[in-house]
Amino acid sequence: MVPFNYYVILSLLLFLIGLLGVLFRRNLIILLVSLEIMMNALIILFAGISHYTKDVTGYLIVFFLIGMAAAEAGVGLSLVVLLYKKLKKVYADEINYFRG
Amino acid sequence: MNWDILIFLYLALAMSISSLLAVVSRNPVHAVLWVLVMILHQAFLLYTLGSEFLTAVQIIVYAGAVLVLFLFVVYMINLRKEERWRIFIQRSSLGLIVFLVFVVLFFKNLAFLTALSPSFQAALPMDLNQGTNLWWMARYLYSHYLFQFEIIGVILLVAVLGAVFLLRKLKEVA
Repeated sequence: MVPFNYYVILSLLLFLIGLLGVLFRRNLIILLVSLEIMMNALIILFAGISHYTKDVTGYLIVFFLIGMAAAEAGVGLSLVVLLYKKLKKVYADEINYFRG
Repeated sequence: MNWDILIFLYLALAMSISSLLAVVSRNPVHAVLWVLVMILHQAFLLYTLGSEFLTAVQIIVYAGAVLVLFLFVVYMINLRKEERWRIFIQRSSLGLIVFLVFVVLFFKNLAFLTALSPSFQAALPMDLNQGTNLWWMARYLYSHYLFQFEIIGVILLVAVLGAVFLLRKLKEVA
């Protein structure tokens, strides 16, 4: 039986790796990929809690999270494609359409 | 050292390395493929956590739908590899400060998080002697969480409609 702490530490590690990508990358697609990595860290945490307490709630939250991730990827990627069609750029520091 | 811990350590190491390589790789196609490696390992991790159904959902939805969508977009908008090694945006020192704040906060609260597990009371308990994991999930999904299940359906519908609406022909507006 693997201790519960290991799952928490793995989840925190994956969340920090995803946060590294969100904070430092300038490619918008890789930024969305990093968001997926952060959401996978949450999935591990909820499934681990649910496994160790013999409770179904965590598994159901994982089910909802996977649906949310699919919706988020669809909307985010359509926004990236729209931005590319309009500006021909996908790098976050080159997009200054609103002079921001 | 028994097999459970060995398998867990292999999965943890593979997931950490592949996600780190996905974050630092210059080519977006390589990044998406490294995330695919991470997703498959995570599916097996969900199997070791006792849920076969979530393993199947993880492979079908993430590896089959979401990552294929990412690859499709990467090929469609014809991304070049970044010529310069300039993956770091400007003002990266500000991002470094935010990252270090998150690291410090997480490892300060790690003892709190790991001490949390024995204190949970199972709200919707499952008894694996009476039914499989999928049976218990389906039972509670369609009774306690029926409203949330409808909500996630509406969210997926809105996401599809939003994607179609955003990418329609732009000259219809003018």
